[in-house]
Amino acid sequence: MTQGRTALLLGAPALVLMMAILILPILAAVILSFTDYSLGASGIRWVGFDNYGRIFGSSTYEKMLVATATYVAVVVPASIGLGLGAALLIQSLSRGAAFYKSVYFLPVMATLLAMTIVWQMMLHPTIGVVNRGLLAVCGVLPEGVCPAEMPLWLGDRDYAIWVTCFIGVWQSFGFNMVLYLAGLSGVPRELYGAAEMDGARSAWERFRLVTWPALRPTTMFVLITTSIRAFQTFDTVEVLFSPGGGPAKSVYLMMFAIYEKGIVQNLVGIGAAITVLFLISVMALTVLQRRIAERKAL
Amino acid sequence: MMFTQALKHLVLILGGIVVLAPFAVMLSYSLKSPGEIERGTGGFFGAQAPMVDAMCFARNQPDRAALEAARADPPGQSDDVILDRLEAERRDACSMRPAVFNYTKAFTEAPLLRYLLNGLIVTLSIFVIQVVVALPAAYALAKLRFWGRDAAFALVLFCLLIPVNAVALPLYLGLAKLGLTNSYAALVIPWTISAFGIFLMRQFFMSVPDDLVDAARMDGMGEFAIVWRVMLPTAIPALVAFAIFSVTAHWNDYFWPRIVITGDRDLFTPPLGLREFQAGADGSLYGPMMATATIIVIPLIAAFLLAQRRFIEGIALSGMK
Repeated sequence: MTQGRTALLLGAPALVLMMAILILPILAAVILSFTDYSLGASGIRWVGFDNYGRIFGSSTYEKMLVATATYVAVVVPASIGLGLGAALLIQSLSRGAAFYKSVYFLPVMATLLAMTIVWQMMLHPTIGVVNRGLLAVCGVLPEGVCPAEMPLWLGDRDYAIWVTCFIGVWQSFGFNMVLYLAGLSGVPRELYGAAEMDGARSAWERFRLVTWPALRPTTMFVLITTSIRAFQTFDTVEVLFSPGGGPAKSVYLMMFAIYEKGIVQNLVGIGAAITVLFLISVMALTVLQRRIAERKAL
Repeated sequence: MMFTQALKHLVLILGGIVVLAPFAVMLSYSLKSPGEIERGTGGFFGAQAPMVDAMCFARNQPDRAALEAARADPPGQSDDVILDRLEAERRDACSMRPAVFNYTKAFTEAPLLRYLLNGLIVTLSIFVIQVVVALPAAYALAKLRFWGRDAAFALVLFCLLIPVNAVALPLYLGLAKLGLTNSYAALVIPWTISAFGIFLMRQFFMSVPDDLVDAARMDGMGEFAIVWRVMLPTAIPALVAFAIFSVTAHWNDYFWPRIVITGDRDLFTPPLGLREFQAGADGSLYGPMMATATIIVIPLIAAFLLAQRRFIEGIALSGMK
């Protein structure tokens, strides 16, 4: 048997599955996004760009785009910043590094759905530990420092999205910390000595001149992963704000919108159009970041 | 120097408190009585004062036979006395410590054992099929010369860009058309192909010397045998990392099961079961709900604490996805 036939035989299952599970669905989503299809309906009608028009024209979907953009724009930098900060602190410890590393990594391992339910209980306006704790602190502080009413957190449109972002950061920054710790262990020690000779006296100067540039590949990597994950956030929204997507739809993230429109409400056309926008965003982001990484590496 | 070190520990400990807070609350609530949860009393472990299970109490109404028996032993009591005594006995039989109550309820209120078993079946099936599909393909890409190899590898790289969750809608429609929703197949099929697995194994196999493959061919081994008996053993470290990554991702996954399992409780995975519990829980079941959450979260956390380095390596792999 020639190597070509062997390769075909060995690779066939993977090839077929890749086509059926990844490539075909993309094509299907693109086609469906131009129709008014719904599961179980007898007919299907070509509607052109109507679905896209509705996404960019109606306030519901505008809220979806704003919520998703806000979420990604907050969670990605915060999660990367905290991950890097934790890694720098932990790496400079003389003892206890392993302990902190395990602690900060726990949320990455834990079932997000379960932990979201716990956060929900903690944020309960009256019996949650967060408001209880705040009340206890406020009891000690002079009057007027604390607001008269404790926040409703999840029920308040001014807080809901930020609380969701917080849970997203809480869950993900340990992952970035681990990647940065790996990156930091690869920075050659001599560079710091050399930088010091060149007059980089302060810790900040050493960070700016040596650590940060040396971590660039790690940062690229972390940026891609964190963005893609942030885009895919679903569990928290589904638990905390189902149905509807939160007070005034302020936490109506894209993944949740695909689920609610396309699957729960059987509005396949709209769901497919959001899917296409989602795929374009995520894939463009990835390609862009890889390009930047390659250019920087040259 | 001492001072900066202390300051760093202080910052890290404060961060650690925020990180660990939900875990502590989960564990603590899973041990406490409903009253303690509502009032915020009882410290971490709760007072563990015996409590009466209201449902057990309501369910075990004395029947006629029990009443007759009580009336006869000893004879000649007034009905009030008999009823009071029976009620006290019932109360006794249904009273237990809150921690016991919560963890018992977690298993009796919903078929949690079944959910855990489903989770195990699904995660293991996914991993095994991923390896069976990816390994031969990775071998072909790494060690065989054939027309179209570069194109095939480019396809793998392209598929790496596609998050499966993003094409959930068309996948769901396809499965629904095939009548496969509400089945184990629906839970497993979308994850059978791991472009990432192929990529990872291919990179690994590239570093395996060609001589090893050639020697195996000299010995008369077929290509299938080479994949499973020569290449597989060399790839164990990469496979372990991939296993950890895959099992963690699918044990914790909620999005996909939520979509394809609608209503059939026998197919619920642990996260679905917990979500169902939450949706149906009034205040009195917070304790059992947190016990359920603890039981679902514990296996991976325990495994992680036992083999931290491997876990961190495995999960960090997904960064390449």
